[in-house]
Amino acid sequence: MTHPSIFWYTLLWLILWGAIGALITPRVYARKDKFTHQTALLGSFIGAALGPIGLILLWIFTPQLTAKWLLGSGLIALFWLALAFAKAAPENLCVTSGSFVATQIANGLVIGSIYGLMALGLTLIFSILGIVSFAHGEFYMLGGMVTYYFTQVWFPDLSPLLGVAAAALFTFLLGALFELLFLRPMITGQIERPGEYAILVTFGLAFFLQYTTLSLVGASPKKVPRFFDYPKITVPSGTGEIIKITPGNLTFFDTISISSPRFTALIIALILLFALLYFLYKTWTGKALRAVSQDRQAAAVTGINPKRMNTLAFALGGMLAGISGASLVQVFSWVPWVGIPASSRSFVIIVLGGMGSLPGAFIGGLILGVVEALGAGCVPDPHRAAAYLPAYGMIILVLVLLLKPTGLFGREL
Amino acid sequence: MLRNRRIWLALSLLVVILLLAACGGAQVEKVGEPTQAPTEAPTKAPEPTKAPAATEAPAEDQGPAKAPSGEPVKIGAVMPLSAPGSVTGGKAMQAAFEIAAEEINAAGGILGRPLELIMEDTEGLPERGAAVMEKLISQDQVVAVVGEYHSSVGLAEMEVAHDNHIPIVFAETWNDKITASRYPEVFRVAPLSSEVAQLDTDFIASLGVKKVVIMTENTDYGIPAAEKTTEKLKDRGIEAVTFSADPGTQDFSSIIERIKGESPELILVLLTGETSFNFEQQAAEAGIGPQDVAMICNQVAADSESFWKNVPDGNFCFYRQVGLPPVLWTDKTKAFAEKYTAKTGEATPPSYAMEAYDSLWVMVTAINNAGSTDPDAIIEALENISYEGALGTITFPVNSKNPPEKAGKEDKWWHQFPDFAAVFIQYQQKGQMSSDAPVVFPDKFKTADPILP
Repeated sequence: MTHPSIFWYTLLWLILWGAIGALITPRVYARKDKFTHQTALLGSFIGAALGPIGLILLWIFTPQLTAKWLLGSGLIALFWLALAFAKAAPENLCVTSGSFVATQIANGLVIGSIYGLMALGLTLIFSILGIVSFAHGEFYMLGGMVTYYFTQVWFPDLSPLLGVAAAALFTFLLGALFELLFLRPMITGQIERPGEYAILVTFGLAFFLQYTTLSLVGASPKKVPRFFDYPKITVPSGTGEIIKITPGNLTFFDTISISSPRFTALIIALILLFALLYFLYKTWTGKALRAVSQDRQAAAVTGINPKRMNTLAFALGGMLAGISGASLVQVFSWVPWVGIPASSRSFVIIVLGGMGSLPGAFIGGLILGVVEALGAGCVPDPHRAAAYLPAYGMIILVLVLLLKPTGLFGREL
Repeated sequence: MLRNRRIWLALSLLVVILLLAACGGAQVEKVGEPTQAPTEAPTKAPEPTKAPAATEAPAEDQGPAKAPSGEPVKIGAVMPLSAPGSVTGGKAMQAAFEIAAEEINAAGGILGRPLELIMEDTEGLPERGAAVMEKLISQDQVVAVVGEYHSSVGLAEMEVAHDNHIPIVFAETWNDKITASRYPEVFRVAPLSSEVAQLDTDFIASLGVKKVVIMTENTDYGIPAAEKTTEKLKDRGIEAVTFSADPGTQDFSSIIERIKGESPELILVLLTGETSFNFEQQAAEAGIGPQDVAMICNQVAADSESFWKNVPDGNFCFYRQVGLPPVLWTDKTKAFAEKYTAKTGEATPPSYAMEAYDSLWVMVTAINNAGSTDPDAIIEALENISYEGALGTITFPVNSKNPPEKAGKEDKWWHQFPDFAAVFIQYQQKGQMSSDAPVVFPDKFKTADPILP
């Protein structure tokens, strides 16, 4: 950064007025006998976006809170921050190169959609069983391992899609089996402290799966060659092409470049997302699942078996993590401990999106993907940019927990 | 009821398995418990008998091996066997230790007694390394410790060894600070980080590049190594920009776009393990791989089978190999390589396996030379040692009789094996085996010219 002071003073200004807004606004609303719900959040956003003038206007008129207010003021605050960054670091690639930023955002969205898919599984389990599965990362790892062994070792000519399907089936069955054996006693009242038990037993499963896999397959990294070699296509040919495809890379509008295995993984994630949405919203079983997540007793009254839904939810959750892993084993090198960072990222996402919220998990994944990509891409010190990768998610997480503890799409308590 | 009972049965069974798996971290392996120990007549012969040692060939220059007997001598071996440590490195070291321990017991053990090697997992965590050292010293009462892969863990372990006055030979910890501590108990057969940085610099300068990007690991190994290299490159008028990432990072896409923006003429990868594979292949997919820009890949590339599986677009990768190049292998190296291949299925042993193998043999030889397990006697014997190993002739010439001031050397040379060899190798054909890949630097070992993209 050439003028770091511009950026830091702007940040300080935003935080100062944001904090003042968050502290005082609820009191103003309360004094005027208005609904104070989420006014702290609104106050902090308006304070950060428009400073003292905005806050005074807000306190005078005290408008009824709507999503538009939040979104608008949030975007303005972000704009100030970005502007300050551009003024502070005019030579930074994030400021000088639009195509760099576009590529970073595109890559963030691609990887974020797969994070989202994995987090979707975790949030599904949470919404139905009310537990956090600490073994989620191991399902992710197993998904990749099963795909590797199916397509590379046992059946070398097998289509990679069948490998993914095998991974889905394996993780689904493993999830179902585990739920039946270890989590069922929780709801039948055989466990004295079900909350603690759930944490311990899923932790145990995580270690068991990780070390069993390590002893079975060894420590050397595995990788599946990219699932599909795309044909060489340029549309339209000549200069100013819109799409340029080579076996290893896709370039859109001559600016955004995405490696082809990532693109394949994105397609798999999107297909699966739509299949899941269809299942949850259009089929009887899916509706039953959602009903149980809303109210167990009421669902049981209408003839739904909540126990069966528990098994299904845990199996589906594991399967979603498994498929995320299966689609990424062609992108990353795979080792038995690959699930550890992936699962902690899923925890961040579901808290960010709101525990138990399905759209929250997916959008949370996208947000985390983009924030990580932009953080690693724009932080001026190259030495620190990627080393801070886990921190970017944490900053977002802390902000969300401070301003909206239920998460972006969480159910209000 | 019956069904419930069955579930509980399965549950308790799985819990037992789980516990076993959890305990797997601390592996106590009595490797090579003397197979030919005189079990038939232990009472008759309290002193080692002259009975010829079974059918196994005794190690060279040890004379006819006597079967070890009596109370075993315990030595601790530390290495990372679970994440976040480099499990690949730890597993290779474990295999090497097992081979060495078998050989040692077949060759007569330590002081006529069998060697009991107690292997512990440090998980790549400094606090875990310190705890494991305490356990080895106070609970198992080992007389010496060997091994370790991660510098950050080694730095913690060395303090425990020093406090308890237990000699330790480090196998693969490169950080200069370890020997620069000048602790009497600390010895090292691994190279010095700063010397390797010098070699890297010489090689990079010989290629005539002017702009380098260093992709390093955010650890006690990676950060100082990158700093030293940057400093040395600057003296040669070469600009270097460092990027760093945590070990275990999978997605490098955003960093790779930034590296592209720097337009480097060479990329030096100081990441380790599968993290380096992730970076190298993703860089290749993004168009700045070894086929587009000169790239010095991490030394794990030496495991060619694993390398080509994980980095299929990695042709023209350079990598640094520590330890003798295959053309200079001693008989001991060849014998070890053969056993290592038979045990693990890997074509050639990586340098850290050779170092682990030598570290144990050096320690055992020193104890045998000392004639006792007294720490001071072992340290004195280590200072005087001249041992023919897989890495060459191991000596520690800068020691208490020849301290750094007197030798005119920096503190980092204290108890340091000085003659470590390191060369640069390049894969010049897709799918090439590392044993066939040519040495391209330094000139005295060179078998082919480097190919630049």
